[in-house]
Amino acid sequence: MGNKLNIWFLSSLLISIIVAIPIVTVFSSFFEPTGEYLSIIKNTFLFEYIFNSVTLLIGVLSATFIIGVGCAYLVSFYKFPGSSFFKGALILSFAVPAYIYAYSLTAFFENYGTAFSIMKSLFGEGDYNNYIPKFDGMFGAIISISFSLFGYVYVLTRASFHYQSQNLLELGKNLGFSNKKTFLNIILPASRPAIVAGLSLVAMETLSDFGAVSFFGISTLTTGIYDAWIAFDDLALANRISFFLLIFILGLFVLENFSRKKAQYHSHTRGNFKSKSLKKLTGWKSFFAILFCSIIFFLSFLFPVTQMLYWTLIFPKHFIDLNIIDLLSNTIILVFLSSFLLISLSFISNYGNRINKNKLLDILTTFSITGYAIPGIILAVAFISFVSWFDKNIIYFFDIKPIFIGSIAGLVIVYFVRFYSLANNGLKSGYLKINYSIDESAYLLGYSKLKTFINIHIPYLKNSVLLIGILLSIEIIKELPITLIMRPFNFETFATQAYIFASQDLLEAAAAPSLILILIASVFILITSRYILKDK
Amino acid sequence: MKKISLIGIVLVFFAKFSFANEVNVFSARHYDSDIQLYKKFTAKTGIKVNIVSGKDKALQKRISEEGQDSKADLYITADAGRLGAFDAKGMFQNSMTPIIEATVPSNFRSDNWTGIAKRARIIYYSPDRVSLSDLSGMTYEDLANSKWKGKIVIRKSNNIYNQSLVASLIKNNGKEETLKWAKKLVSNFARSPKGNDRAQILAVAAGEADLAVANTYYYALMLSGQKGKEQQEAALKVMPFFPNQNDRGTHMNISGGGILKNSPNPENAKKLLEFLLTKEAQQHIVNNTFEYPMIEDVEPHDLVKKMSKDFKQDLKTKVGDYKKNQADALEVMLLAGWK
Repeated sequence: MGNKLNIWFLSSLLISIIVAIPIVTVFSSFFEPTGEYLSIIKNTFLFEYIFNSVTLLIGVLSATFIIGVGCAYLVSFYKFPGSSFFKGALILSFAVPAYIYAYSLTAFFENYGTAFSIMKSLFGEGDYNNYIPKFDGMFGAIISISFSLFGYVYVLTRASFHYQSQNLLELGKNLGFSNKKTFLNIILPASRPAIVAGLSLVAMETLSDFGAVSFFGISTLTTGIYDAWIAFDDLALANRISFFLLIFILGLFVLENFSRKKAQYHSHTRGNFKSKSLKKLTGWKSFFAILFCSIIFFLSFLFPVTQMLYWTLIFPKHFIDLNIIDLLSNTIILVFLSSFLLISLSFISNYGNRINKNKLLDILTTFSITGYAIPGIILAVAFISFVSWFDKNIIYFFDIKPIFIGSIAGLVIVYFVRFYSLANNGLKSGYLKINYSIDESAYLLGYSKLKTFINIHIPYLKNSVLLIGILLSIEIIKELPITLIMRPFNFETFATQAYIFASQDLLEAAAAPSLILILIASVFILITSRYILKDK
Repeated sequence: MKKISLIGIVLVFFAKFSFANEVNVFSARHYDSDIQLYKKFTAKTGIKVNIVSGKDKALQKRISEEGQDSKADLYITADAGRLGAFDAKGMFQNSMTPIIEATVPSNFRSDNWTGIAKRARIIYYSPDRVSLSDLSGMTYEDLANSKWKGKIVIRKSNNIYNQSLVASLIKNNGKEETLKWAKKLVSNFARSPKGNDRAQILAVAAGEADLAVANTYYYALMLSGQKGKEQQEAALKVMPFFPNQNDRGTHMNISGGGILKNSPNPENAKKLLEFLLTKEAQQHIVNNTFEYPMIEDVEPHDLVKKMSKDFKQDLKTKVGDYKKNQADALEVMLLAGWK
């Protein structure tokens, strides 16, 4: 037992250390002096970064709250034509990364853009540009990010609504509350933990967004890190801004974890769960419910897909020139390697936790899932700084840099840090469903630990593993900043290809890779939705 | 078993064999046409071209972080200031060959990097609202004239082409004078700066502004129809104007490249640079990207030629000097409230 404990302990320790590298790097360099270069400008920038990040955050949180909770409320409590369709369709917004949404928004609304073409073909020649609203800058960024992220609020709120007992609704009715009052005073407060958890996820993703804000030319803390590191060549400043951002995010992380625990508590109070009889909407109420859901579905999914499809069709040259086989095989390699690494190590850590029940191990595991809260850019920058430092100071006799920088290995390691929580938590919830008594019965039958693991745990967890694999695929296909910084020679994914075209003012060429990316992610999401939306 | 296969897979990806006959290009230019050009080079010489494309600064960063282990041979980017700044960090080695020195005018190269193609940053105007006589003899300096109040669009100050343009003004007129100029220019803005160069030209076409500042190739690209019919028609509503024809000439910039200090294949990189300056390659570049050729006996694309038969280029301000004033340029712009 003692020996075993060491192996599990050491592997969990190792995982935690890998994940801790970026955080420690950022914090340790906080006190390093930053460069002198344009110090006044840097100070003005810092204020602007914070101001923009906060503005963006407030805008996105308000929008995702209204959209996410609104949709969840309608499809959870009411029945109207198409309600079960919308239930699933609304999560397709996860397939559209914010940066691709930003491309679509610009393509459609810019001077002489798609909206102009539509007006012209409908009404003939005219000066329509002045009448077409321009969704760019901060406003454009808020819209793009909100539509690509509201799914978090929607999914979590919906799950919480689903588990709210009918009793709560009846309570409202008995108290003589109107529907509105029941919703505001009873349902919403009861779902608060789920909503807060969803909003914290949105907040973390918003703060880490790079593609959309840099496309609209908005300087946030995240682009600030990139600029400080890259434009001012000032790693210490980059790390200092990261430090501010991390403090921000740390607060959200704590909030999210706290709320999630509460949300779980709530979702477990299913004792007197009566299956809800959904209220049927009729007349104009039904009309507005359909309208609201249709608009959100249209704006969040159909609009970007149609715009990208339209461009792919009218500029077929770019589609033909696109090296789809390469992009696809690169994506598959990344998905396969990362999933394999992530799932294997999650198994080790989860299994270790299961057979050891060690407090310290628990803490280490909690620590090692913080990676998802940290923006990809920080992870990549910190990883490169760390490798450089390690190479120079620890094993200066052997070059490790080529192995870890600009290689698939390095890329996969940073993905690992970023997505470890997804794999680990997924497996953890799978393991929770396997009763300990099953393990004990297996031991009684003379099964070794390994045999128990292989013959009992793995078959039980097959579905969890599949689900984790799909979720990881979606994330990796969409991932931009880490891939952009860490990828090797001649290596593009759909995301980097789209980004590079877009940054060269070749939005029409970015359409084809964007479209394929969305389609692949949609297929995965539809498969996943069977799990996410499983209403038992 | 699982672990062994995992290690196996990882090892395969660790092992990056390098082929003797290759050249590794870090390029901030990612036109499909460039890739076709590299293929031609490979067909001719048998030297394989590996490419990492990305944003210039990110590529520079990676090259400097990789240090001595860098596999990068050639760094290609737009803007002379960027090349100069990277050179000042000691990242390049001497990239000159007799052929390059003979073909590229000394104004558009240094010892460690060379221009590959040229572009001008010019003024665009709406012929409906601005008459050519209003523009007669116009200079970049005249953009500060109060008669253009609320009529000018230009990109943000973080744009490198603007930084080089302002750097050239600082070089010619001094920092103080340029700050005054920038303040007046900012008060002439029709809107808070946003969008890329093409968006500035479109803003003039749409009537949001009367004058725009943008690079030459964007306009030709729109005229070519490659950006769609609407943009082609929009471009026809806008006319190009080449400023400072009566004094130092129009502000020029380059896209170019240099051989990196730690290049493992410097000879191949030289061959590639020389190839990019051959008549065949130059013709390919100007036909696809609408830039101006770097060598004498190649004509620009017809659409580019039509913009101005023959204009006076600013050969007095060396493009190699942009780097020196770019930091000041950014400071001046920000002090002037240029977003």
